[in-house]
Amino acid sequence: MDSQLRSQVVFHLTGRVPDDAGAEQPLPAGLRPALLAQYRHLESIRHDFPVVFARGPGEYVVSLAAAVDGALRAAAPQGAQGEAMRKRALHTERLIRDAVAKGAGGTLLQAWDAAVASAGTDDAWRREMKIVRDALAVDGELAECDSRLPARFLRHAWAVVQREKVRAARSRIDALVLRLEAILRADYARSAVALQSANLQQTFGGTHQALFDFAKMSQLLSPAARQGGLDSSRRARIEWALRVLREQAFFPPPGDAGAQEASNDRFTFDNVPAALESYRNRLPDMLSLLKALHLAELEAEGQFVEQLHGPLFERMQSQDFTAADLQFFPDYLVTLGSDAPGVQADLGNALSSGMPVKVLLEVQDLLEEAAPGQGRFSFGMRGGQLAFMAMTFGDAFVLQSAASNLLQLRDRLQRGLRHAGPALFSVYAPADGESTLPGYLAAASAMQSRAFPAFSYDPGRGSNGATRFSLENNPQPEADWPLESLTYADQDLQAVTEELAFTFVDFLLADRRHSQHFAAVPRAHWGAGLVSARQWLESPPADPSTGLPFILAVDDADLLCRVVVDERMMRAAQRCREAWHRLQELGGIHDSRAEALLARERALWAEQRAVEAASLAPAVAPAAPGDQPTTAAAAAAAGASAAEAEEVPNPDTAYIETLRCSSCNECTLASPKMFAYDQNKQAYIVDLKAGTYRQLVEAAESCQVSVIHPGKPWNPDEPGLDELIERARPFL
Amino acid sequence: MSTASLCLHHLAEEHHALEDYQGGVPRWCKGCGDNAILAAMQRLCRDEGLRPEKTVFVSGIGCSSRLPHYMRTYGFHGIHGRALPIAEGIKLARPDLHVFVNTGDGDCCSIGAAHWIHAIRYNMNITVLLHDNHIYGLTKKQASPTSPIGTRSNTTPRGSYLDALSPLTVTLGVQNVSFVAQAVDWIPESLFQILTAAYRHRGFSFVRILQRCPEFVGSMFEPWVHDPQRMLMLTHADGTRISPALQKIYRNQLAHDPADINRAREIASSEDPIPVGILYRNPQVPCYEDLRGAGKLRTADQVRSALDGEFDKFTVWPQ
Repeated sequence: MDSQLRSQVVFHLTGRVPDDAGAEQPLPAGLRPALLAQYRHLESIRHDFPVVFARGPGEYVVSLAAAVDGALRAAAPQGAQGEAMRKRALHTERLIRDAVAKGAGGTLLQAWDAAVASAGTDDAWRREMKIVRDALAVDGELAECDSRLPARFLRHAWAVVQREKVRAARSRIDALVLRLEAILRADYARSAVALQSANLQQTFGGTHQALFDFAKMSQLLSPAARQGGLDSSRRARIEWALRVLREQAFFPPPGDAGAQEASNDRFTFDNVPAALESYRNRLPDMLSLLKALHLAELEAEGQFVEQLHGPLFERMQSQDFTAADLQFFPDYLVTLGSDAPGVQADLGNALSSGMPVKVLLEVQDLLEEAAPGQGRFSFGMRGGQLAFMAMTFGDAFVLQSAASNLLQLRDRLQRGLRHAGPALFSVYAPADGESTLPGYLAAASAMQSRAFPAFSYDPGRGSNGATRFSLENNPQPEADWPLESLTYADQDLQAVTEELAFTFVDFLLADRRHSQHFAAVPRAHWGAGLVSARQWLESPPADPSTGLPFILAVDDADLLCRVVVDERMMRAAQRCREAWHRLQELGGIHDSRAEALLARERALWAEQRAVEAASLAPAVAPAAPGDQPTTAAAAAAAGASAAEAEEVPNPDTAYIETLRCSSCNECTLASPKMFAYDQNKQAYIVDLKAGTYRQLVEAAESCQVSVIHPGKPWNPDEPGLDELIERARPFL
Repeated sequence: MSTASLCLHHLAEEHHALEDYQGGVPRWCKGCGDNAILAAMQRLCRDEGLRPEKTVFVSGIGCSSRLPHYMRTYGFHGIHGRALPIAEGIKLARPDLHVFVNTGDGDCCSIGAAHWIHAIRYNMNITVLLHDNHIYGLTKKQASPTSPIGTRSNTTPRGSYLDALSPLTVTLGVQNVSFVAQAVDWIPESLFQILTAAYRHRGFSFVRILQRCPEFVGSMFEPWVHDPQRMLMLTHADGTRISPALQKIYRNQLAHDPADINRAREIASSEDPIPVGILYRNPQVPCYEDLRGAGKLRTADQVRSALDGEFDKFTVWPQ
């Protein structure tokens, strides 16, 4: 073994360069996985970020690129002029992306104006950009994919859902208030007070008052006042419900943005105990409002029955709240850090409390060391475990995703926020400064490398795991690691294309804290003894010197290099892959139980086929399909014809085809003792002997749809039978 | 209304028998097909649990339009051809009511044709029953727009000259059509099923019911009444399914997906055999009352001031 290889083996096994190998070769500056080389200048790539948190109707969040595309579709004409406008708009978009990446805030329109101003160009340019600006269909705060994104994103999405809730709730409450007021007003209009002449006079305009004698009018109308009116208990109920509905504090008036924002703040928390306390304090008001709503709906429809509903309303308690009841009220939004002390217990309390809560779990560090330390990463175990734990509650919606993928998952996210029950959103956004990559790439590579895969568990989609659990949005979910092609120029400047896997160690490479686990290999030693990390993970060699794992990386100058990975990192990658396998099984991919069952069924099937083939071997060739019916078909046909034979009515017996009766009343009016209607108002013979054969034949003759069949006479002594039998013949 | 409220409402719900929906004694001619339509409607009201005080039948003029008198619900016997605008007004003012319209081939397809076309386009949530007997019966036999060519009547003693108008193909050709079905009075079970589906559809549900008039055109539908093979029963999981008992009588069946409007138009053009079932249904078509925001809340003061403003436009002030 040459000294260089020995030195690499020692590094791989111990994570240290041996003393006799001389100075440790430093890792090239700005090292990143080779597959990420093309994303070095992210601001020039039209990707999902920054996003715009839209204020108006339509999509609640869109990418900057989509917003500009929409404006250009609306504003840029076809042809060369339009093309020039598109180029300038895209340049402005790039300036905005650059500014936001550097920390600029504000709304899209503000950023647009700033970008146009900073470009310092001519008036024609400004005019064109003004046209595009006016065509922008959305405006709102811009947000980069950084550590603050999950909280901002979820708060915005949550606020949109709360706004919908407020609109629906206020519409229901306000309509009921109007209806209850109408009942009280109608009652007043009929009361003795309202019918006094002075009050009657007030209801008229001033112009024609002289034409009326209100005293006489009062005298004429006053008898109406004596015809009842609301009894005192109903009046008290209605007045109570009206008071509760008018004074409720859960739903501010629609359209009042300030009040809505203040209301949202009252339901937003950064710890579970405070949220739970607030929820407990509000329970009595929630109960009153629900009672008032139900009572008002019953009263408005005139359906309240004191004996039936009174006891129910008295016994109604907050413990009886259903998910639908709770869904009516605003949700609580709680933001937790995955590294906060006691987060696991707090989350369990929140999800099991019955509180309508949506929890954001911010995962900022996937590479935190497990308790014993020494490189045994938990890679998101806290966040991941909490998301798994939430699934065991059964009724909780769970979504896990990297921040980079939130835009793609916006519909799923909103579905979770609308879910009638608790929801947990576990989102990974790296802490600022820990990765050598920009926030978007760092988050995306966590998902790409299976370090923080996306999944969702939606109890609203069915009753079993197959329908509820989804691994969608993960790249190539069937594979252990996603494969992407990399094209580069070799030493002879020839294009080479390779299929590379993006593994957990690729993700690790970008973390500043773990650079000591990687060692660059000089080009002269790229030969034997090195295997790709993907191959190594598939079959780790027994002798390390026959297969040292490496990954391809690029430095600041985009020069390709190979980096050896130490064994602890590789073991971490193995554990990451195993965790991914468990998720795959949950998602029905490579399901070990299903595959075992399938193998067993296949073996059984093959066995049966072999037995059948052996038994058929000496027999004559089977008839061609269609020559004769199969045994089953023949049996079915025979059964059907037998059933038909059974059901053919006896022509000698009187009967009615009740199913075809068109309810024309002829027979039932002519012979009410003989014919009657069934529950669907179709005629049947209730008592044949209650009339004569003549009446029966006449009924058959008068039936417009000919469904009465008189059969044979039952009384041989009835006069004129020969003639009647002849008349009955067409109806037998 | 929430599920809990619905449960609380159900506590006090009264269950009605079919007879509870029976109003006055029908005064139709002997054997009239309208009786079957009345029976099916009463059955629908009973089985769907429609509260009589929340149900209204609106009609125009004609034999068919007598039906509201025979229902113990609210009713509005309107003027000739104007049942639909009246029904639309009721639905706009009282969206909580179940609104049904009974109209005839003369009432709907002749004098009321303009209202019919636009009612389809407006797609308001009402159920329309076109009692189509191919003749003006109340005025004792004049040709109607749906009378087959050659029909002899008081106004066409030498036989009518024009091909009959098809209410089905007309309806299927209008923008925003959302539900079209055809039933016949002499297959009551199918009639009931189709009316139920029409009632449950949210939108303008148009059901043409071929209805016998034994008094004036007694032989018009005889061949189809007495030969089940000349009836084409449309079946589909998303349409209506025929009961096993009925399947044995009406064996001529066709699987038709009500989402397929082009096929619906083809089937609607068939006069023999007569298709029976749901031809077209599209629940995605928006209802007019939803589009114009009829549910917008207005306080009593707002209503009063709006009415005062309107009245003031026409008031002649005394000098």
